[in-house]
Amino acid sequence: MKGEKLRSLSFFLSPMIAMVGIFYLIPLVFTVYISFTKMRNWNTEKYLSEIVGLYNYQRLFHMFQHDPMIRAILLTTVVFVGITLLINVFGGLLLALGTFFINESSASSIRLLWLLPRMSPIAVYSLVWYYFFHGSDIGTLNSILLKLGLVSEPIPWGQITPWGVWSIIIFVNGLVGVSFGMIVFTSALNQIPKELVIAARVDGASAWQISKKILIPMLKWHFLYVLTWQFLSLLTTYPHLFLLVEWDLVNRDYGTTLALYVFNTAFGRGEQDQGLAAAAAVLLSIIGIMGGYVTLKVLQFERMIHEPRGDVE
Amino acid sequence: MRDVETRPKRYEWLIIAVIIFASLPLILGFALLVLSSFSKDMITNLSPESFRPTIENWVNVFQGKLAITGGIRQNILKITFNTLVVALGVSGIVTLISTLAGYSLSRMKFRGRKAMMLLLLVLHAFPGVALIVGVYLFYRLTFPQDPSLVRIYSFFYVVLARAALEIPMSVWLMKGFFDTIPWEFEWSGIIDGASRIKVWWKIMLPLIKPGILAVALFGFLAGWQDLIYVRTFLIDQTLATFIEANIEAEYSHMPLIAAAGTLYLLPTIIFFLTAQQLLLQGYSGGIKG
Repeated sequence: MKGEKLRSLSFFLSPMIAMVGIFYLIPLVFTVYISFTKMRNWNTEKYLSEIVGLYNYQRLFHMFQHDPMIRAILLTTVVFVGITLLINVFGGLLLALGTFFINESSASSIRLLWLLPRMSPIAVYSLVWYYFFHGSDIGTLNSILLKLGLVSEPIPWGQITPWGVWSIIIFVNGLVGVSFGMIVFTSALNQIPKELVIAARVDGASAWQISKKILIPMLKWHFLYVLTWQFLSLLTTYPHLFLLVEWDLVNRDYGTTLALYVFNTAFGRGEQDQGLAAAAAVLLSIIGIMGGYVTLKVLQFERMIHEPRGDVE
Repeated sequence: MRDVETRPKRYEWLIIAVIIFASLPLILGFALLVLSSFSKDMITNLSPESFRPTIENWVNVFQGKLAITGGIRQNILKITFNTLVVALGVSGIVTLISTLAGYSLSRMKFRGRKAMMLLLLVLHAFPGVALIVGVYLFYRLTFPQDPSLVRIYSFFYVVLARAALEIPMSVWLMKGFFDTIPWEFEWSGIIDGASRIKVWWKIMLPLIKPGILAVALFGFLAGWQDLIYVRTFLIDQTLATFIEANIEAEYSHMPLIAAAGTLYLLPTIIFFLTAQQLLLQGYSGGIKG
């Protein structure tokens, strides 16, 4: 029986283990290794075997202190993650509560609409906002303001540093993240016993009171879950920013977060410096791992895993 | 589950109005893109006079004409086909691996099971940008010597690498689907002396079809919409890199790009209209409320 179990286990698990090994574990070792080499422009013949110790990390910390571009990027990362996180969590909560109090068919349509940013191809999604925030008079936002007579000439929003740029990248990413909170909170609200809400209604409670006294207190755990998970996502997300920066819709320095900086330094146009990018990636991962650890503690992971019952041995 | 019978009606329209107002930029942005693809000029400036209905953008896109003048041609059908290959490849691999692994994590006791699930969760949260540098080095080191194989290999590699990103979440999702199937089905098979593999194949897979469909759909969308991996690893163009390359080009006729963008959005729209419940459930995947 033992041999058979081992056989079937390896049948079920080996493809996944192979994928995780090849595309997570080995690359991770590679990335850390590259951060100790002088790798540039993917010149593997020349630089792969040349170990330079902590040289890239020293350069990175030197740039943190003296390079105005890197300082702009760090500041952008902090502001972007902080504000977008608030929008994601509270926007998701408001949408979930709002749709809780309206009829089911309207609620479904609204939820679906808010999934659109998450499901759209990134290139199309970026295209939509490219036209919306465009600095000339074809930009939708500019033409609305012009028509209302609030501005006399088109404003290049994405070139106003820092807040013009920050508003755009926060807005664009905020819409993507809101749906995550909305879905989690909605599925939690659906599990709240209906009798509680009806009883409160009979006693004459308003929607606001029901939310405050019954619904929100029940969402505590989910709230923490969304908060920590979105924090990790925002810290490491870069695809939705990539095109906005590449197409010059937004200023490069104030539109780039640390994650995007890593990607552009490793794969961008012009001079590529993989050693430096890898060092920055390692730092980002350390922050991420710490955040992930907190997430697991918060989630009380043990609660989520049940032993399979009654396995026939 | 909701307070349907007792809810006062008067606030309903107010809540809906507020939400619609908050959704306006989203609705407006997408609507203008789609409408511009059917117009002679971009209508993103909201001027009714720029809207002159035409289908010539779509005709030109399919003929591969990027500019109104000049002879710049792109084979958009080939580009769409490339995108489809990546999407179907990612979908297939993700579905296969998560259907296998999800079953054993849901149904079998073995040492390291908990650690494995924890690892998957950690990997899902792991910064992709830290991985992609290493994933690219692996790509460089395994590059085929024979030039005729290079393009095939780049397809093969991008599909595997992109699928790997979806695996942690899909395995969790699939495990969740297997968890919902009553044990009795399995016992009947095991008591009759069938092996676990046979039980999985003969009994479980037919029962789990909706789950397989959901995972396949999410895998497809992930591959279809990818930009970063495709532009990093793939030699050929997909719709994503096509749009990326042509937005800044001087010769591009903007409504044409809008048409290409709308074409690229089609699968998303189709899933929207056909698989609504699946989408709403799937995105809460892996989360026990």
